[in-house]
Amino acid sequence: MEPSRLTLPASAVSMPAFTRFVRQGAIAAGIAEDEFEKLDLVLEEILINVARYAYTPQTGAVEVAYAQAGPHKLRVEIADFGRVFNPLEADPPDLSRGLVDRPIGGLGVFLVRSLVDSIDYRREENRNILSFTFPMAAGSSGV
Amino acid sequence: MNIEPTQLEKAVLLKVTGRMDAENAHEFEEACERWITHGTKHVIADLDGLQYVSSMGLRCFLSVAQKLQSTSGSLILCGLHGLPRQVFEMTRLIGLFPVFETTLQAIATL
Repeated sequence: MEPSRLTLPASAVSMPAFTRFVRQGAIAAGIAEDEFEKLDLVLEEILINVARYAYTPQTGAVEVAYAQAGPHKLRVEIADFGRVFNPLEADPPDLSRGLVDRPIGGLGVFLVRSLVDSIDYRREENRNILSFTFPMAAGSSGV
Repeated sequence: MNIEPTQLEKAVLLKVTGRMDAENAHEFEEACERWITHGTKHVIADLDGLQYVSSMGLRCFLSVAQKLQSTSGSLILCGLHGLPRQVFEMTRLIGLFPVFETTLQAIATL
Protein backbone atom coordinates (compact mmCIF):
# COMPACT_ATOMS: atom_id res chain seq x y z
CA MET A 1 0.00 0.00 0.00
CA GLU A 2 1.29 3.44 -0.96
CA PRO A 3 1.85 5.53 2.19
CA SER A 4 0.12 8.87 2.73
CA ARG A 5 2.50 11.74 3.46
CA LEU A 6 2.32 15.22 4.96
CA THR A 7 5.23 17.66 5.25
CA LEU A 8 5.06 20.69 7.56
CA PRO A 9 7.45 22.85 9.64
CA ALA A 10 8.86 21.16 12.75
CA SER A 11 6.94 23.19 15.30
CA ALA A 12 4.22 22.79 17.91
CA VAL A 13 2.04 24.85 15.58
CA SER A 14 1.99 21.94 13.11
CA MET A 15 0.72 19.49 15.72
CA PRO A 16 -3.04 19.82 15.09
CA ALA A 17 -2.58 19.24 11.34
CA PHE A 18 -0.30 16.22 11.88
CA THR A 19 -2.72 14.83 14.45
CA ARG A 20 -5.70 15.16 12.08
CA PHE A 21 -3.67 13.64 9.26
CA VAL A 22 -2.56 10.53 11.16
CA ARG A 23 -6.02 10.09 12.69
CA GLN A 24 -7.37 9.66 9.16
CA GLY A 25 -5.00 6.71 8.81
CA ALA A 26 -6.03 5.34 12.19
CA ILE A 27 -9.70 5.51 11.22
CA ALA A 28 -9.01 3.81 7.87
CA ALA A 29 -7.01 1.09 9.63
CA GLY A 30 -9.92 0.47 12.01
CA ILE A 31 -8.00 1.41 15.15
CA ALA A 32 -10.32 1.80 18.15
CA GLU A 33 -11.25 5.40 18.85
CA ASP A 34 -10.12 5.20 22.48
CA GLU A 35 -6.54 4.73 21.18
CA PHE A 36 -6.51 8.03 19.29
CA GLU A 37 -5.29 10.18 22.16
CA LYS A 38 -2.38 7.78 22.74
CA LEU A 39 -1.50 8.20 19.07
CA ASP A 40 -1.66 12.00 19.47
CA LEU A 41 0.68 11.71 22.45
CA VAL A 42 3.23 9.60 20.55
CA LEU A 43 3.23 12.07 17.64
CA GLU A 44 3.56 15.08 19.92
CA GLU A 45 6.48 13.64 21.87
CA ILE A 46 8.39 12.70 18.71
CA LEU A 47 7.72 15.98 16.88
CA ILE A 48 8.63 18.14 19.85
CA ASN A 49 11.92 16.25 20.15
CA VAL A 50 12.65 16.80 16.46
CA ALA A 51 11.93 20.52 16.76
CA ARG A 52 14.04 20.85 19.89
CA TYR A 53 17.03 18.58 19.23
CA ALA A 54 17.34 17.87 15.51
CA TYR A 55 16.75 21.46 14.37
CA THR A 56 17.34 24.05 17.11
CA PRO A 57 18.38 26.84 16.67
CA GLN A 58 17.35 26.73 13.00
CA THR A 59 14.06 25.18 11.90
CA GLY A 60 13.14 22.75 9.17
CA ALA A 61 10.54 20.42 7.82
CA VAL A 62 9.13 17.17 9.14
CA GLU A 63 7.50 14.56 6.96
CA VAL A 64 4.97 12.22 8.52
CA ALA A 65 3.91 9.17 6.51
CA TYR A 66 1.60 6.30 7.40
CA ALA A 67 0.45 3.07 5.88
CA GLN A 68 -1.77 0.31 7.18
CA ALA A 69 0.37 -2.48 8.62
CA GLY A 70 -2.16 -5.25 9.11
CA PRO A 71 -5.58 -5.43 10.72
CA HIS A 72 -6.06 -2.50 13.15
CA LYS A 73 -2.38 -1.55 12.80
CA LEU A 74 -0.71 1.54 11.44
CA ARG A 75 2.94 1.97 10.53
CA VAL A 76 4.04 5.59 10.99
CA GLU A 77 7.30 7.12 9.80
CA ILE A 78 8.58 10.52 10.92
CA ALA A 79 11.49 12.00 8.96
CA ASP A 80 13.44 15.24 9.38
CA PHE A 81 16.45 16.81 7.71
CA GLY A 82 18.17 18.01 10.89
CA ARG A 83 21.42 17.01 12.58
CA VAL A 84 21.92 13.36 13.54
CA PHE A 85 19.55 12.72 16.42
CA ASN A 86 18.41 9.34 17.69
CA PRO A 87 15.93 9.85 20.56
CA LEU A 88 16.02 6.11 21.30
CA GLU A 89 19.59 6.48 22.60
CA ALA A 90 18.40 8.51 25.60
CA ASP A 91 18.91 6.85 28.98
CA PRO A 92 15.63 5.64 30.48
CA PRO A 93 14.36 7.93 33.27
CA ASP A 94 14.73 6.76 36.86
CA LEU A 95 11.09 6.28 37.86
CA SER A 96 11.92 5.22 41.40
CA ARG A 97 12.99 8.65 42.68
CA GLY A 98 10.90 10.59 45.17
CA LEU A 99 9.28 13.96 44.52
CA VAL A 100 12.23 16.11 45.62
CA ASP A 101 14.88 14.48 43.46
CA ARG A 102 12.75 13.23 40.56
CA PRO A 103 14.36 14.80 37.46
CA ILE A 104 12.02 16.93 35.39
CA GLY A 105 12.15 15.61 31.86
CA GLY A 106 13.11 12.47 29.97
CA LEU A 107 9.55 11.16 30.11
CA GLY A 108 8.56 11.83 26.49
CA VAL A 109 10.67 9.10 24.91
CA PHE A 110 9.73 6.77 27.73
CA LEU A 111 6.02 7.32 27.00
CA VAL A 112 6.57 6.77 23.28
CA ARG A 113 8.35 3.47 23.91
CA SER A 114 5.57 2.43 26.27
CA LEU A 115 2.78 3.05 23.75
CA VAL A 116 4.08 1.69 20.44
CA ASP A 117 5.38 -1.51 18.92
CA SER A 118 8.74 -2.04 17.25
CA ILE A 119 10.02 1.51 17.17
CA ASP A 120 13.30 2.02 15.35
CA TYR A 121 15.60 4.76 14.17
CA ARG A 122 17.68 4.98 11.03
CA ARG A 123 19.79 7.67 9.41
CA GLU A 124 19.25 7.68 5.67
CA GLU A 125 21.26 10.14 3.59
CA ASN A 126 20.64 13.43 5.41
CA ARG A 127 17.49 12.35 7.20
CA ASN A 128 16.60 11.05 10.67
CA ILE A 129 13.80 8.53 10.31
CA LEU A 130 11.85 7.18 13.25
CA SER A 131 9.26 4.53 12.50
CA PHE A 132 6.87 2.63 14.69
CA THR A 133 3.76 0.50 14.63
CA PHE A 134 0.68 1.54 16.56
CA PRO A 135 -0.97 0.46 18.75
CA MET A 136 1.05 -1.68 21.09
CA ALA A 137 0.37 -5.37 20.44
CA ALA A 138 -1.91 -6.96 23.03
CA GLY A 139 0.13 -8.67 25.73
CA SER A 140 3.29 -6.76 24.90
CA SER A 141 4.75 -4.83 27.81
CA GLY A 142 6.87 -2.41 25.77
CA VAL A 143 8.76 -1.05 28.77
CA MET B 1 -7.08 24.02 27.80
CA ASN B 2 -9.07 26.11 30.24
CA ILE B 3 -8.11 26.82 33.86
CA GLU B 4 -10.78 28.06 36.24
CA PRO B 5 -9.58 29.05 39.73
CA THR B 6 -11.66 29.07 42.92
CA GLN B 7 -10.09 30.41 46.07
CA LEU B 8 -10.78 28.25 49.12
CA GLU B 9 -9.98 28.89 52.77
CA LYS B 10 -6.73 26.89 52.79
CA ALA B 11 -6.05 26.28 49.13
CA VAL B 12 -6.82 27.22 45.59
CA LEU B 13 -8.85 24.88 43.43
CA LEU B 14 -7.87 24.93 39.75
CA LYS B 15 -10.36 23.24 37.46
CA VAL B 16 -8.38 22.19 34.38
CA THR B 17 -10.32 21.14 31.29
CA GLY B 18 -9.40 20.21 27.72
CA ARG B 19 -5.97 19.25 26.42
CA MET B 20 -2.65 20.10 28.08
CA ASP B 21 0.08 19.84 25.45
CA ALA B 22 3.52 21.21 24.61
CA GLU B 23 1.95 24.42 23.37
CA ASN B 24 -0.06 25.37 26.46
CA ALA B 25 1.25 23.37 29.47
CA HIS B 26 3.22 26.42 30.67
CA GLU B 27 -0.09 28.22 31.29
CA PHE B 28 -0.89 25.75 34.05
CA GLU B 29 2.54 26.21 35.66
CA GLU B 30 2.22 30.02 35.44
CA ALA B 31 -1.27 29.96 36.97
CA CYS B 32 0.05 27.87 39.89
CA GLU B 33 3.06 30.18 40.33
CA ARG B 34 0.84 33.24 40.56
CA TRP B 35 -1.11 31.65 43.43
CA ILE B 36 2.09 30.42 45.12
CA THR B 37 3.55 33.94 44.92
CA HIS B 38 0.45 35.21 46.69
CA GLY B 39 1.01 32.79 49.55
CA THR B 40 -1.08 29.79 48.50
CA LYS B 41 0.30 26.62 50.11
CA HIS B 42 -1.96 23.99 48.61
CA VAL B 43 -3.10 23.72 45.01
CA ILE B 44 -5.92 21.29 44.26
CA ALA B 45 -6.05 20.42 40.57
CA ASP B 46 -9.45 19.14 39.48
CA LEU B 47 -8.56 17.06 36.42
CA ASP B 48 -11.96 15.51 35.80
CA GLY B 49 -12.27 17.50 32.55
CA LEU B 50 -8.66 16.97 31.43
CA GLN B 51 -8.68 14.77 28.31
CA TYR B 52 -5.04 14.76 27.37
CA VAL B 53 -1.64 15.47 28.88
CA SER B 54 1.80 14.98 27.32
CA SER B 55 5.27 14.92 28.90
CA MET B 56 5.42 18.72 28.86
CA GLY B 57 2.35 18.79 31.11
CA LEU B 58 3.87 16.16 33.40
CA ARG B 59 6.95 18.37 33.76
CA CYS B 60 4.74 21.24 34.88
CA PHE B 61 2.88 19.14 37.46
CA LEU B 62 6.21 17.89 38.80
CA SER B 63 7.79 21.32 38.87
CA VAL B 64 4.82 22.88 40.73
CA ALA B 65 4.73 20.00 43.24
CA GLN B 66 8.46 20.39 43.92
CA LYS B 67 8.05 24.12 44.54
CA LEU B 68 5.10 23.58 46.89
CA GLN B 69 6.91 20.81 48.76
CA SER B 70 9.76 23.22 49.50
CA THR B 71 7.27 25.45 51.37
CA SER B 72 5.53 22.50 53.10
CA GLY B 73 2.62 22.81 50.71
CA SER B 74 1.27 20.33 48.19
CA LEU B 75 -0.18 19.86 44.74
CA ILE B 76 -3.21 17.60 45.08
CA LEU B 77 -4.69 15.83 42.05
CA CYS B 78 -8.37 14.93 41.74
CA GLY B 79 -10.53 13.24 39.14
CA LEU B 80 -7.67 11.74 37.10
CA HIS B 81 -9.00 9.33 34.49
CA GLY B 82 -8.47 8.19 30.91
CA LEU B 83 -5.18 8.99 29.18
CA PRO B 84 -3.99 11.45 31.87
CA ARG B 85 -4.35 8.75 34.56
CA GLN B 86 -2.55 6.25 32.33
CA VAL B 87 0.45 8.53 31.77
CA PHE B 88 0.68 9.36 35.50
CA GLU B 89 0.64 5.62 36.19
CA MET B 90 3.10 4.61 33.46
CA THR B 91 5.64 7.20 34.61
CA ARG B 92 4.96 6.31 38.27
CA LEU B 93 4.38 9.99 38.97
CA ILE B 94 1.03 9.06 40.50
CA GLY B 95 2.80 7.88 43.66
CA LEU B 96 4.42 11.30 44.14
CA PHE B 97 1.17 13.27 44.51
CA PRO B 98 -1.77 13.08 46.91
CA VAL B 99 -4.52 11.75 44.60
CA PHE B 100 -8.25 11.77 45.30
CA GLU B 101 -11.35 10.82 43.36
CA THR B 102 -13.18 14.05 44.13
CA THR B 103 -12.28 17.59 45.10
CA LEU B 104 -14.47 17.27 48.22
CA GLN B 105 -12.28 14.43 49.47
CA ALA B 106 -9.16 16.53 48.79
CA ILE B 107 -10.54 19.61 50.58
CA ALA B 108 -11.47 17.47 53.59
CA THR B 109 -7.79 16.52 54.10
CA LEU B 110 -6.57 20.09 54.49
